[in-house]
Amino acid sequence: MLRTEKVLQLRGQQGRAVRVVREHYLRPDVPCRSALCRSAQCRAACARDGKLLSDDVTHYVVPDCKVVQEYLEILEFPELKGIIFMQTACQAVQHQKGRRQYNKLRNLLKDPRHDCTVFANEFQQHCYLPREKGESMEKWQTRNIYNAAAWYHRHCLGQMPVVMVTEDEDAIRQYGNETEGVFVISFKNYLDNFWPDLKAAHELFDSIVQARRERESESQENHGKEYPEHLPVEVLEAGIKSGRYLQGTLNVNKHRAQLEAFVRLQGFGSKDTELQSDILIYGSKARNRAIHGDVVVVELLPVHEWKGRTVALCENETEDKAPADTTGDPMPTGKVVGIIQKNWRDYVVTFPSKEESQSQGRNAQKVLVTPWDYRIPKIRISTQQAEALQEYRVVVRIDSWESTSLYPNGHFVRVLGRIGDLEGEIAAILVENSICAAPFSEIQMREMPVSSPNNPWKVSPEEAKKRLDLRETHLIFSIDPKGCEDVDDALSVRALPNGNLELGVHIADVTHFVAANSYTDVEARARATTYYLADRCYDMLPSVLSADLCSLLSGVDRYAVSVLWELDKESFEALRVQYTRSLIRSAYKLEYETAQALLDGDTSVVGDIQELTGLAEETRQKKLAELVWAISRLTDIARHVRARRDRCGALELEGIEIRVQLDDKRNIHDLIPKQPLEVHETVAECMILANHWVAKRLAEHFPHQALLRQHPPPRQEFFTELRECASAKGFSIDTRSNKALAESLDRANDPSDPIVNKLLRSMATHAMSNALYFSTGSCPEEQFHHYGLALEKYTHFTSPIRRYADIVVHRLLMAATLGGSTGDVKDNIISNKDLEELCRHINNRNRAAQRAQKQSTELFQCMYFRDRSAESDERCVADGVIYSIRTNGVLVFVPRYGIKGAAYMKNKEGLVISCPGTGSCQWKPGSLHRSQHKITSTTTTGDSLTLSLFDHITVGILVQSSRCHAETIRLEILRNAPHSTADTAAAHRSPHVVRGELVKEVSQSAEEAQRAQDTARVEVLDEESRQFCQTKGPSLYQLLEEIRELALLDVTQDGRT
Amino acid sequence: MAGLELLSDAGFRADGRRPEELRKVRARLGVLARADGSAYLEQGNTKVLAAVYGPHEVRGSRAKAPPDRALISCRCSSAPFAGGGERRRRPPPGGGRAGERAMLLRGVLEGAVLTQLYPRSQIDVHVQVLQADGGELGATVTVAGLALLDAGVALRGAVVAGSAGLAEPPAGAPVALSDLSAAEEAAGGPRLVVAAVAPGGGQLALCQLSARLHQDRLRPVLDAAQATCRGLHAVLDSVVRARLRRDTAMEQ
Repeated sequence: MLRTEKVLQLRGQQGRAVRVVREHYLRPDVPCRSALCRSAQCRAACARDGKLLSDDVTHYVVPDCKVVQEYLEILEFPELKGIIFMQTACQAVQHQKGRRQYNKLRNLLKDPRHDCTVFANEFQQHCYLPREKGESMEKWQTRNIYNAAAWYHRHCLGQMPVVMVTEDEDAIRQYGNETEGVFVISFKNYLDNFWPDLKAAHELFDSIVQARRERESESQENHGKEYPEHLPVEVLEAGIKSGRYLQGTLNVNKHRAQLEAFVRLQGFGSKDTELQSDILIYGSKARNRAIHGDVVVVELLPVHEWKGRTVALCENETEDKAPADTTGDPMPTGKVVGIIQKNWRDYVVTFPSKEESQSQGRNAQKVLVTPWDYRIPKIRISTQQAEALQEYRVVVRIDSWESTSLYPNGHFVRVLGRIGDLEGEIAAILVENSICAAPFSEIQMREMPVSSPNNPWKVSPEEAKKRLDLRETHLIFSIDPKGCEDVDDALSVRALPNGNLELGVHIADVTHFVAANSYTDVEARARATTYYLADRCYDMLPSVLSADLCSLLSGVDRYAVSVLWELDKESFEALRVQYTRSLIRSAYKLEYETAQALLDGDTSVVGDIQELTGLAEETRQKKLAELVWAISRLTDIARHVRARRDRCGALELEGIEIRVQLDDKRNIHDLIPKQPLEVHETVAECMILANHWVAKRLAEHFPHQALLRQHPPPRQEFFTELRECASAKGFSIDTRSNKALAESLDRANDPSDPIVNKLLRSMATHAMSNALYFSTGSCPEEQFHHYGLALEKYTHFTSPIRRYADIVVHRLLMAATLGGSTGDVKDNIISNKDLEELCRHINNRNRAAQRAQKQSTELFQCMYFRDRSAESDERCVADGVIYSIRTNGVLVFVPRYGIKGAAYMKNKEGLVISCPGTGSCQWKPGSLHRSQHKITSTTTTGDSLTLSLFDHITVGILVQSSRCHAETIRLEILRNAPHSTADTAAAHRSPHVVRGELVKEVSQSAEEAQRAQDTARVEVLDEESRQFCQTKGPSLYQLLEEIRELALLDVTQDGRT
Repeated sequence: MAGLELLSDAGFRADGRRPEELRKVRARLGVLARADGSAYLEQGNTKVLAAVYGPHEVRGSRAKAPPDRALISCRCSSAPFAGGGERRRRPPPGGGRAGERAMLLRGVLEGAVLTQLYPRSQIDVHVQVLQADGGELGATVTVAGLALLDAGVALRGAVVAGSAGLAEPPAGAPVALSDLSAAEEAAGGPRLVVAAVAPGGGQLALCQLSARLHQDRLRPVLDAAQATCRGLHAVLDSVVRARLRRDTAMEQ
């Protein structure tokens, strides 16, 4: 046995070329498996397995690698006999054609009916030729095979001619006449000469050749592919510069994911784009493999090909409906020509159920799975576990999407949980929003200061010296929701000797504990915010900080960052402001309800204040009087500040918040809308004030690298729907400025129906863009403006425990006020570019947090209604208000539960709804007619039903279950009349009552269920509400848990948002 | 690309061997003059070098020395150029694979050397892998045994170690493969390393199995590993004898 070495150049894991040396043993005793062979050695080796090449054929044929790869089907013909497959050729098939083709070849070799065999030529010591330097793989393979064929001929002592078939013209010329008895010819030639009568083989040969030619021409001309190829990057860049192409982010319409997608342009309003809207991408061909969220380059189609967006209500299940009669006005339409950045992430998918998978065909290795998100196309997964995974939510990743493939290819990553199971569904929501909330690691926990009941954390004397000590001088207290543990803000107010007031806002000094770029800091930056789901939350900081050391609890010393204003005693104008690190001890930790009661002069709640129990009556009264004075002063200040802001045009927008009430077993007990209190507003106003002043200071000190928050003015065209709706009730909405909008919204008030105003406000909210963090260096100063709050500068400073932006702002503020006196402060300043990147990240995470919260709320809503039906359960019947008219139905808002949903007037069978008299509705054949403010259904029997905007109707709430996606709430019209019970009447009256009245009403009815309230006011989707409900700690696992819904569920907005 | 086929339908392994065939073995004794005993072994592309110092007095603290037998200290290492992925990263605390090899080697040698003949003395064994291509543990043990023979340390018998794996073709019965190469080890099947003292007697000084293996399949793999040991022993025995013939004037 001889030993040689093969040197291979392989690609290593990192893509580097790696030199690999493999041993290669050559031997004389490779069996030739021919019946003609007379060599004893060979005979012994052949005896092991029975199949021998017969000796009654006219010749042996040796196919080349190329021939085996391309024409294996022809070689499978039983008429073709005496085929010797060389090992070299077999390996080429294995490596280049994949497992399926190779298995076919192996089965052929094993089949005793076929007269063919394999010869391990590379292990035969006389056959093997090492590859020469610079020789191409194909040449070497051909040379090796020819050499083996020649050897074979000699081995059989020349008794049998050997024909080598190859497609390589050079080889035919070179080897054709080299050895007598060994012929080298092309495959076509071979078939013509040796098998002229074998018609089937010839036909097959022709068709294979043709298919191959087609494939080649396709790859040249982009023909026959599912999608056109993307253009190269240079072309795209040049095209964008010249204005031929446009760049933007692809948003798929959730409700027509197959057809409609929109591209929101980047750098909107630049000189060469006169387009005032998004670009419609119609159909999957035009979308050209872009997936929701990708940054794409689009080319506009000529104007006559433009299409309008669909305005009919539609369900996701229904595939391409006839779109002709349902489209709106044509809008700019384009097609994707390239993808700049793929934003693929992990996707939650569901495997097809048994019935579906059978219809997908017998090729069970490749399974088309349906993503949870409607906007993501189906993904092709190759797995053998498809059946086992049927009942689970599964995470997959997309690997590639070739232009020849209708669907992207992906692979299976992990299992989340069973379908319909709460934990599984929550995990799905987390994955879908790319939220990773693993427990904090040990290395992060090691950075944390120690604080245990036995060894409580203490203020260090050196640190105390550096700080302003407010422990003795100021009455500091916090107002928070019930059961809150992470108190990150506290307030103080006192009269100064000169008669002026001093207002103090004290924020937990998180940056003292979280050093920049420490492990905890890096983790907090990655999370960017605390994630609140309906029934749980995932903290941004470890709980030792968020619930203990940074939490401004009463009666303990805490580090804080304080903003202190000296206010004029009459006008409450700020005369002086001071930003400082301080040491505080909060005196009271109040709940909103208690504070409100004190403000209203209701002293019955004194018993609820823990800090006052166990004191002598006299001191108690004195202390209480101090506290009440402070709260009422605060309220005065807040009213003034608010009034000042209102004069500038601050908006009050409406959102409905729903609290999920859970019972002991964490089943959903009830859904309760939240009620606002004046104290909420007081606290919020103080926070807004602090944020505003901090923003002013930062913008002065760091004109190019401060983190601020902006709220750009909304685009006017988004207000169209609002204006139209308002005109239905005879109101006119002036949307030219925030002040005009605020005033006209106040005027648009229908005394008989308070819901109207609420709905108009929520529509206005939806028309706004989101507030964003930004770096002051990245945009001109006039864009710093905050539209919703009507402030020229704004930032987030007051909740460092649960927002990373606040931590950054704290560091900046420290750098600004300490003037860079210490070295490490300098390190905390981030350059404009990094800050921009950070802002983008935080904005993204915030959006994910909002989405996760909304989705989890919807999940709970669905679970609440899942097992109930309108017939059996009274709770599923509610009053609804129509707020939008579509061609085949209406959009309805249910104030009782804060649900928005679609109600169809025409069902899938084409029947329309009718309401004879006041009875319940029925489906009958008929037609629908839609005008601007109303929709009429007329049945063939002559009944008609007209629904107009802001009509009250009775709807039944039911859950539309879906295997692959989240369940959705569906509404069905039950009666064309308001649904009235005492319950709903209270629910839709209360938010509208004048604020003062409401406060009394609520404080009188101190119901247990209404205690853990939050605010009902949402400023610009999420702006301020974050601040009121900041304090949801681990106690959320308890009986009363609250959730906050940031945006109403609105099916019309999703294409844009 | 389809996964590596351990055994082709024609009955050849990827490098052209049949299942029961070993890689090419070359060995030399006494390659290092300064050491009391030394040996060099090639098994295919795996190349190892061993040096033995001693028996000598215990160095360092004498308290460590057992009073009734010799102390064997083993150090194994891998040359930086050896390849096989061992030197890519800094070895983890505890010495990584080389450290594990030293520990296993010491266990084998304590069973093979007649330590009670050398009380209060120490035998140092150093083994370095010069080139790694599979079966480093087996080669380490074998070459250490050769070096001890060269040093003239009293042994119960020759120390030889070999490895075996299992090929499970999609169709047909699984076949045990002797003496795995690096490519075959990387294919992920089970690997059994066996060290035998005086391979004729069937005594095992070491038996290490990586990856799970059904107990029904253990027997053929174990047999193959022992056959590897016997095969190696046959080759090495002749090397040792040839060396003896040359070095001593005992013959004639």
